[in-house]
Amino acid sequence: MRGLSDIVWRAIGGLFVVFLLSPLVLVVLFSFTSRAQSAFPIESLSLRWWEAMLADPRFPGAFWNSVIISGTVGVLSAIIGTMAAMALARLEPRRARPAVAMLCLPLMVPPLVLGVTLLTFYSKTHFPMGRQTVIMSHLLFTLPFVVLVVFARLRNFDYRVVESARDLGASPLRAFFTVTLPIIRATIVGAALIAMSLSLDDFVITFFTISGGQTLPIFVFGMIRAALTPMANAIGTLILVMTIGTTLIALWLTRYRG
Amino acid sequence: MREHRIRALLLAPATAIFFVLFVLPLAYFFVISFWRKVLFAMRPDFTFVNYGQVYDQHLATLAFTLALAFIVAVLTTTLGFIYAYIVRFKAGRWGPALLFISLITMFGGYLVKIYAWMTILGIKGVLNTALLALGVIDEPLSWLYYNAGAVVVTLVNFSLPLAILPIYASMRGITDIELEAARDLGAGGWRSFSDIVVPRSRVGITAAFGLTFLLSGGDYLTPQLVGGKVNMIGVQIAAQFGLIFNWPMGAAMSFVTLASSTLVAVVALSLFSQWRPR
Repeated sequence: MRGLSDIVWRAIGGLFVVFLLSPLVLVVLFSFTSRAQSAFPIESLSLRWWEAMLADPRFPGAFWNSVIISGTVGVLSAIIGTMAAMALARLEPRRARPAVAMLCLPLMVPPLVLGVTLLTFYSKTHFPMGRQTVIMSHLLFTLPFVVLVVFARLRNFDYRVVESARDLGASPLRAFFTVTLPIIRATIVGAALIAMSLSLDDFVITFFTISGGQTLPIFVFGMIRAALTPMANAIGTLILVMTIGTTLIALWLTRYRG
Repeated sequence: MREHRIRALLLAPATAIFFVLFVLPLAYFFVISFWRKVLFAMRPDFTFVNYGQVYDQHLATLAFTLALAFIVAVLTTTLGFIYAYIVRFKAGRWGPALLFISLITMFGGYLVKIYAWMTILGIKGVLNTALLALGVIDEPLSWLYYNAGAVVVTLVNFSLPLAILPIYASMRGITDIELEAARDLGAGGWRSFSDIVVPRSRVGITAAFGLTFLLSGGDYLTPQLVGGKVNMIGVQIAAQFGLIFNWPMGAAMSFVTLASSTLVAVVALSLFSQWRPR
């Protein structure tokens, strides 16, 4: 009886894993097909679509835009988010919690609405649109994640070590850089990487705020709309490798162990 | 006093971003929803014409969108609950691996997943070619694709991690001691499930439902790419900022969507908080 129910639960779990992972696995698989369609059977493996991607004149611009945007978003949201989390962690929970919830509000608004709102705002204020507006807009939805992660880490932080540094004459800044930062560095870097992968993956908000430029997701979107060639799989796989890669490093750094 | 000033300084950049790039743009967006489009410009005004048009022209689309988002949210939350339940109580040493998979799929590939479902469900897609090769069907099934079902499957697929994680987070707080105590007091499997597991997961279930409902109600790429003629309000909003070029109208539609989906979510969740499984 016990054995049977175990098997049933395991089978259900297996179905879930197939449902979650098969779309991603298929995209990776089809990026190596030698055929001109994303379909089975894959006759032979080839790098044809990867070469086509690298040879595409739009690729370098899209790639570097993605790298520059997500890198800047990662660094900025790590700094700004950590500062906010440090201030909030020192408040009593009764006052800190509403403030954290407020900073998370942009996550409850659909990206489409955020995107068109920001587009309207930038165009009203005649703010020049491009990479800079994408970076600013991404901060809106990456900051809450950084604040949440660093705030959670600081909840079980032993402030006595900072106080002893201060008693020994260290300035607040010095105490931060020599004591606090080394202790929470891994968490901050992890949070920055999560912010990077969210930024790398974003299509909707980027689409409305970049004004004509390309990033990798926008490049894929163009390909999907034009024709379903397996080259979209190669770009998609590249996006997956970059986002999942940074997520993995982030999980490892924040000591995620299940 | 000094500490107060340091705290204000530390919070300044995050608060500035929140107000300048979130509150202010939304406020301006709300204002222009009362403006009018004249030729290719927006003219300041104070008119409810746009809201009237949302009611006249887009009410059916909005109702359909809310219904579809509701189905997606119920499905996603239920599946997310089952997944979290397996991770917490049934998977044993495989639990961490399952949780890990849901974390990985959360951060990667919104557009990639939609694209993948296009290649899975299409006429010449993976599912059809597989079924043809196996001899299950003689000609490709056309009803897999370009309909509401395909939109639901795709939305559930990429929202599922968003539901799993908050529900698991609240289930993690349930200790084995509580469950053993319930069993020692004579509670059966169903009783301890309905009296301990469900109530203790309520916070996570609420977050999962709210998030997946609001986000799938505002999605526009999924219906556009796998939905064919399926018309969701997001597609109509995006069109106001593309070809139709009527920003005041798009603003009015956005606020009606935000307000009505928040209302539906709040009503659904307050009904759920009354519900006691027996």
